[in-house]
Formats: sequence, C-alpha cells, structure tokens
Amino acid sequence: MNVLILSIFWGIVMMFSGIALKKKGIATGLAIAGVLILLLGNLGDMSTVVITTSTFNDMLAFRGYNVLFISIVLVATLMYFLVSGREIENVGTGGFDYYALIFFVLTGIVIASSFNNLLMLFLGIEIISIPLYILTGSDKKNLKSNEASLKYFLMGSFSTGIMLLGIAFIYGDSGSLAIVPAPSPFGFSFTSLPTLSAVGALLLMFSLAFKVSAAPFHFWTPDVYDGAPTVFTSFMATIVKAGTFIAFFRMFAGGFASVQGSWGLAMQVIIFLTLLIGNLTAVFQQSAKRMMSYSSIAQAGFMLLAIYAHNDMAKEGFLVYTAAYVLATIGVFALLSRVADPGFQGFNGLAKKEPLLAATTTICLLSLAGIPLTGGFLGKYYMLVATAKAGGPFWLVIFAVICAAISIYYYFRLIIAMYFKEGNPEMAPVSRGLKFWLVVLCVLILALGIFPYEVLLNNLLSL
Amino acid sequence: MLALLLILIPVATGLATFFLKQGNAAKLFSLLSSLATLGISIGAAICTDKSAKSFQAPFLTNLGSSFSLSLDGMGTILVLLTGISLVLVFISTYKNTYKDPSRYYALMLLSQAGLMGVFLATDGLLFYFFWELALIPVYFLCSGWGGERRIAVTFKFFIYTFIGSLLMLVGLIYLYVLNPGQSFSLTSLYAMKLSPDQQSVLFWLFFVAFAIKMPIWPLHTWQPDTYEQSPTSVTMILSGVMVKMGLLGVIRWVLPIFPYAVHEYGHVVIGLSVVGMIYASLVAMKQDDLKRMIAYSSIAHIGLMCAAVFSVSELGLQGVLVQLFNHGVNIIGLWIVVDAIEQKLGTRKMSELGGLAITAPSLAILLVIMSLANVALPLTNAFIGEFLMFNGLYQFSAWYMAVAGLSIILGAVYTLRMVQKVIYGDTNSLTKTMTDLSLNQKLILAGITVLIILYGVNPQPLFKMTMDTVHTVAQHI
Amino acid sequence: MPINYYIFLAVILFCIGVVGVLTRRNAIIIFMCIELMLNAVNLLLVAFSKAHHAVAAINAGPAGTTAGTDGQMFVFFIMVVAAAEVSVGLAIIVMMYRNTHSVDVNFLNRLKH
Repeated sequence: MNVLILSIFWGIVMMFSGIALKKKGIATGLAIAGVLILLLGNLGDMSTVVITTSTFNDMLAFRGYNVLFISIVLVATLMYFLVSGREIENVGTGGFDYYALIFFVLTGIVIASSFNNLLMLFLGIEIISIPLYILTGSDKKNLKSNEASLKYFLMGSFSTGIMLLGIAFIYGDSGSLAIVPAPSPFGFSFTSLPTLSAVGALLLMFSLAFKVSAAPFHFWTPDVYDGAPTVFTSFMATIVKAGTFIAFFRMFAGGFASVQGSWGLAMQVIIFLTLLIGNLTAVFQQSAKRMMSYSSIAQAGFMLLAIYAHNDMAKEGFLVYTAAYVLATIGVFALLSRVADPGFQGFNGLAKKEPLLAATTTICLLSLAGIPLTGGFLGKYYMLVATAKAGGPFWLVIFAVICAAISIYYYFRLIIAMYFKEGNPEMAPVSRGLKFWLVVLCVLILALGIFPYEVLLNNLLSL
Repeated sequence: MLALLLILIPVATGLATFFLKQGNAAKLFSLLSSLATLGISIGAAICTDKSAKSFQAPFLTNLGSSFSLSLDGMGTILVLLTGISLVLVFISTYKNTYKDPSRYYALMLLSQAGLMGVFLATDGLLFYFFWELALIPVYFLCSGWGGERRIAVTFKFFIYTFIGSLLMLVGLIYLYVLNPGQSFSLTSLYAMKLSPDQQSVLFWLFFVAFAIKMPIWPLHTWQPDTYEQSPTSVTMILSGVMVKMGLLGVIRWVLPIFPYAVHEYGHVVIGLSVVGMIYASLVAMKQDDLKRMIAYSSIAHIGLMCAAVFSVSELGLQGVLVQLFNHGVNIIGLWIVVDAIEQKLGTRKMSELGGLAITAPSLAILLVIMSLANVALPLTNAFIGEFLMFNGLYQFSAWYMAVAGLSIILGAVYTLRMVQKVIYGDTNSLTKTMTDLSLNQKLILAGITVLIILYGVNPQPLFKMTMDTVHTVAQHI
Repeated sequence: MPINYYIFLAVILFCIGVVGVLTRRNAIIIFMCIELMLNAVNLLLVAFSKAHHAVAAINAGPAGTTAGTDGQMFVFFIMVVAAAEVSVGLAIIVMMYRNTHSVDVNFLNRLKH
C-alpha cells in the first residue's frame, strides 16, 4: 500500500517541480530520491509499517509474493535511473514530465501486481499503458517516434477492448469480479470453465499476451521498440514488461490455476510460437536494437513457462527470471543508447575503446543467454524444472532448450563484434558514475546466479 | 580442503591476473600459480586422507544441489594431468609473446579452474556449472588469439558444445525430477532405479553432450577446424585435457546411472567410435597441415577410448583410465614440437618442411619420441593403455577389435609419414634457417620423455591410483 | 428479455468495431471503432449486472441485495479510462498531423525495413 500511495504522490511532485526548478540534472536526482523513498515504503510493506491497511474492499492484496516482486521492480527502476538518467533528460524537453510519467507507470505496476479483482487488473494495465503511449512519442520531431507512438496507441487500445470483452464474459458467468478465494475462482469449482467464461479467459489471455508481446500478438513490439527513444525502449522492455507479466502471472497462475484444462493448450501454443518466432527472427536482425526487441519476445517465451507450470518452483523461478532479465536488459540498453550506430557493425572494436563497458555488457549478454553463474541461467533453469515438475510436455522442454541454444547466436554476435572485430565505434562519452553503476549491476546479476536465496528468495520465505 | 584449493587457486589468481598491467608480470604470476596448482594436485595424488580429498558446502540447497567436490581415482589422475599440462604449456611457450597478455593468462587460468571443477564435482548441477565455465574462457581464448578464420570456427565449436550441454541439462533436470530424494548428489543418482525407457531417453541426452566434447564421429566436425585455428597453447589444453571431460562424463555420469541403456546401445556407440577411428585415420593420412593431422589422429585415439569404455569390461576401463593421462601428456608433447616449428618457420605445412634432422637435431629426436609414443610403441606409456583397451574390446566383440586394430596400423602409417616428411630429406630454403629448440622447450620435452618411459616401463602407480573407479563402475554396471 | 439477446447485440457491436479497426485507414475512424468496442462491452456489463441482480433479488428481495452492482461500477471506470485514452490518443494524432499533414495510417510504414 505504501508504494502505491507514494508513487502517485511522487509522480505529482515530479510534475510540479518541473515548473519551479529549471536546472538540468535536478530531475534525475529528484527521481532517484523518489525511488529510494518508494523502496523505503516497500520495506515498510514488508514489515507491516504501513500508511494505511486499507485494501480497497479486498480488491488489492499486499502479501509476501507481490511485495517482493515490487521491490525487484523498484530496484530495477533505481538502476535504470542511475544508468540512464542523463539520456532521459536529453530526450525532448520535458525531463520532469518523463519522470512523472514513469512514476505513474510504477503505480500501474503496483496495482497490476497486487490486484484481487478484475477491475483492478484493468486499471493497472491501463495506468501502465497510457503514460507509455506518451513516452513512446516523446521525441516529438522524430517521425519514427511519432509513428511508433500512434501504432502503439491504436494497438494498445484495441487489445484493451478485447480484454474488456473477456472480463465481461467472465463476469456474465460468475457474477463476481473477484479472483479470490483461490480454490474456486469466480465461484467455480470445476476443473474447466463453462463456455462463456472459457471464451472470456481466452480473450483475457490474448490481450495480456499482447501486452507482454508474446507471439502471435507480438507484431507491434519491434516497430514500437525501434521507434521509441532508446532510453524508453529500455524502460518498456524491462520494467514495464515485468509489470505486465506479473499481472498475467497473477491472473492465470493464481486465479485460473485450477481450471488449466480450459487454457493450458492455448498457452502451450503461445509459448511455442513465442519461443520460435522470437528466437528465429532475432537471428536475422542487423541492428542490435531490433535484436534486443526480438530477444525480449524470446525471453517472454521462457517467462510464460512459469505461468504454464504455476507450481512453487515456477513462483520462485518467476522472481529470479524477472530480476535477472530486467537487470541484464537494462545493462545492455545502457550501452545501446550511447552508441551512435545501432547496427552490429557499430560495436566493432568497442572492447579496445571501452574495456569496462564491453565487459559489463558481456556479462549482461551471457546472463540473457543463460550461461551458468549468472542470474539468467538460474532463471531458465527454474523454468525448465518447473515445467518438468508440473508434468508439462517433454517436447516443450526440449524445444525451449533448443531455443536457448539459438539465442546464443544473436547474443554472441554482439560479443564478437565488441571483442574480436576491428573498428572504432562512435559513441557518447561515458562517465565514471555510469561505469560504477554498471559494475554494481553486474555484481547483482552474478550474485543472483550464485546466491539466489541470500539475495532474493529468502525474503520471500520469511514473509 | 585439497579439492577446494585445486579450484580456488586458479580462480583467484586468474581473476587477479586480469588486473596486472605488465605482460611479463602476468606471465610469471600465472606460471607460479600453475606450479602451485600442480603441487597441490601431486599432494592430492599422494595423500591418503579421505576427508582432505573431498569438500562439501551448502550451495543452492533448495534446488537439491550442493557444492560437493571429491577426488576418486579417475579424478586424481585427471587433476594431475590438468596440473601438469598447464605447467607444460606455460613453460614451453614462455618465450612466445601474446597480445594483451594479462587477459590471455587470466583466461588460461580460469579455464583450468573450470576443468578442475568438472573433474572434481560430485553433484550434478555443480558439474553442469563447471562444464559450461570451462568452455567460456576457452571460447574467448580461441576467438581472441586464434588464426585467420578463428571467429567463425570458434563460434561453431561453441554452439556445438553448448547445444550438447543444454541437452545434458535437460537430462539432469529429468533425473532430478525422477529422483525420489530430489537431489543431484552422485550417490543418490547412483542409487536410482530407472525404468529401461527412462534410461534410454536420458542416456542419449547425456551421451550426445559427451560425444560432442570427445568428439565421436559424426559429431566431430568442429574439432579439426578448432584445433587448427586456436593458438597452439590453447590447442594443447583442448586436446590434452578438455576432451577428457567427455570421457570422464561417460565413466562417471553415464555408465553407473544408466547400466541398462549402456548394454542396450553399447553396440551403436562402439560402432560409431570404430567408424570414426577408421575415418579419422584415413583423413589424417591426407593432411598436409601438421595441426590438422594431429587433430584427426586425436579423434582416432579418443574413439578407441570411447569404444573401450562401452565394452564394459574391467580391463578395458582400466586401460582407458591410464590412457586418459598418457594420451594427454603425449599429445601435449607433440603440440610443443609443432609449436616450436611454427614459431620458428611460420608454417605448419609438411610439404614446406624437411631436413629438420640436420638443422635441429634435438627437435628431431624429441619429435620421433613423441611420435612413437603416439603410435603406442611398446615400452612407451601409451602401449599398456591401448593394449588393455583392445583386450576389453576383444572381450566385447572380436570383430570390432579387428576393425579398430586397423586404425593402429593406419596410425603408424600417418605418423611415420609425418616424421619422414618433417625431419628427413633435404633442407630447403625455409628450413635452412631453422634453429634448435630453446632450453625451456628442451627441458619440458625431456620431462615428458621421462614420463613416457617411466610409465611405459612401470605403469603400476597409475593402475593403483585408478583402481577404485574401476570397482565403483563395475559394481553398478 | 433473455440475456442472450444482449450478448448477441454486444458481440455484434464489438465485431463491427473490430472490423472497422482492421479495415479503415483513417486514424480517427479507427479510434472511433475502438470506442465502439468499449461501448459494446459497457452494454454487456450493464446487462449482466441487471441479470445477476434479478437472480439475487428472487431470494432476498430487490432491496435486500447489492449483487450485480459491481458490473455497473465497472462501466464507470471504463468510461473514465476511455476518456483518458482519448485525450492522450488525440494528442498523438494531432502531433502526427503536424508532422505529416495526414491522419492516414498508410503513412505509417517508416518502421518497416
């Protein structure tokens, strides 16, 4: 609850301080202070020091799991601000406004990660989406950015419509919007849903799949990620993605878990397509930025396995996977947004010019590729074990593993360009502070891979 | 504690080497580190205290894993090999200069740590961790310091082995899920009762990973290119030590866990190995490049070892374990000679060489010794191992042995052809300029010669060292 | 009237909206079609809400139950969110118009490579 209230409050603070404070650099400092306050509030949530215990008539629930998830999101946001603060202020003219919007997105994520009611699901997803439409178009003079924004907006509202129809169908059958009590969601105690709500559940799944850019609803992702200013692409591909994924997870691995018969097969198809399309298309990209957007689709395929398996292993693994994915992607984008040419050849010889930056990016890429000792490996490992334990189909596990092997190809292309090719990349100057925070980021990723319990999961067990 | 030190020393010194500014300091530092590791591994081989040879610490406990290391006979002999080979590599290439030396030496040490881990780990997940970690530094070494086509070739090598290891990961996950104890520890895996169907699937998942690493025909295509393109020092590690990862994998992680599948598919595997031996020997005869020739001859040797493993006879297994060590030492010896030739003359083509016996007599003598050890002449160390392996294979099926025996003859043919082309004949304009080996290389090769003859005449210590592994495997199979 | 009639009507309205979104080229008209989809859902929610209330009222009497009210509440939220979306969406369309002097989505092809 603390984080919800504080994030709205801080968003407003950021918005109005833009009028009073004109100096550059203040916005980032203020935003970082804001995230630290949110983290403090999150700590309060964990130890029941809260502003109010209201849960909006049980429409929201702040329990161990989602509170821990929110702290992952907040830490990631903090790292994002620290690493990309300067870039955010350099886009267009409205540094404060962008930060305000980002805080509102955080509000949406908090709601989306703790909803107990379909109304809150809808609100959370919308509060995440609407500021993003603006952020995508924030580079006002750039036609690509304009176009990405309009495209994102039209498709986003379209998928909202589909989600609402799904919700309406479910409501029609059950007469309730609440997703608790868990054993009989919406008052059903069957193992499969009646027709109307089964259709509703599928519609809901499709629209959420759209929001997390799972195939075959991913078509908007590369265009929007490519068109948006790179800093905001980084934000969308990481924190926002995690935020919508937790909503997906809560809905299907929580609310609908007992009626998997109605949606399991559709989910298998979505996972298969997401892994296939994401990985195969990423192989053929010539631009690192587009490669990262397909990689984010491919990674979504693995995260969907957690929803499909939805056992204890999947729940832990989802946290590890999200944390590792988000941190590593922020690390890669930190480099991307500083290199002038986003094509692979733009990175040739980078290890000579910026050895440290190349090293941190390599660790991030290795984590994304799932090499042991990184959080990314552990995340993938959790997903595979969870699927195997849940009795998921053997072919799906094998297929996921093959896709992980394919992903090596495109992640290593960047590493090869940086280390083994000659060139003199054109790039923005890199400050000491950035280097320091990137090293911290890498340490976090490695710590997550070696001591996941000490770093993350023990907090879950103690709650 | 000794077991932990074997990993800890190379990891710590390797990481430290990254930050050394001076190339020569990095060189000396890593040599000292490798000597320390060798010292510890000799200590581990001599030590009889069981508790000193194993180590246990909690690690990812909730996932059924633990950080458990232990030295059995096979582990000891391979650890010894790893320790020796890095010292051999560092001393023999001491005069070479590498670009970016601190990174080069750091990566070498880290790859040693990964190898040690693979040989020591007695926990499935930990084994997988080290399996991958041994690969990453080698990948960077080959791509960063290799030959002309290094990037594409090394990438192929990396993708190949990575796909293999991911299949092994799936196998491990299914083992874990099927294991009622929900644990990765070797003892609990040995105690599992798996149905024939489960064994068959899991067997292939594991075996493909190991077969790629060894490599077994037809999964070998990465190997000649990689050996050729890698810097020779890395090739020494690759061919001398890394291929043993696959054999260790089979002996420790496949034979005792899937006995049914081993009996069921033994024929297939031995068939593939034998075909690979003949194929590789024939191709080796056609090679002009020294490195490629040795690469193919290595495929033939490893094929024999793999076939002997799957013959599941105690004799054959005993032979393999001894050969693990001897093959490693011999092939490193060969590489050192090749490296010396390449460094001095800038070519590896047999057609451009000749008459080295005149200009570089001690190089010639040592090359002959290494070659004879490579064809397993009696009284060299490889003889006893190959003899036992053929014996084991004979017990399995005389036909396989007969075909495999053919490769020994072919091996003698191509090795002697190589010796003849390189050191005999007239000198040409290129080889006139040849100078003899430097002191450090002579010293190292003399040391290897001593090992070759010592273990050729008296292999008993090696047998004694590896006896317990043979018994463990025999119990389960 | 049976609830099925409402469902059919709402689904037909929704489908008209979907077809409009997929076939029209003018950004404003696409946007209107999306609004049509949302309003179809509104209609459906209200109808369901009334139906659930009627069922509950048979047992408890019309005054004795609040069942079904959350559906109607939901409608208000949809309206508010839709209004917020309109304000952002129209701003984006205006921005687009300033740069290209067109609201035709066929112009949107710079991102295709």
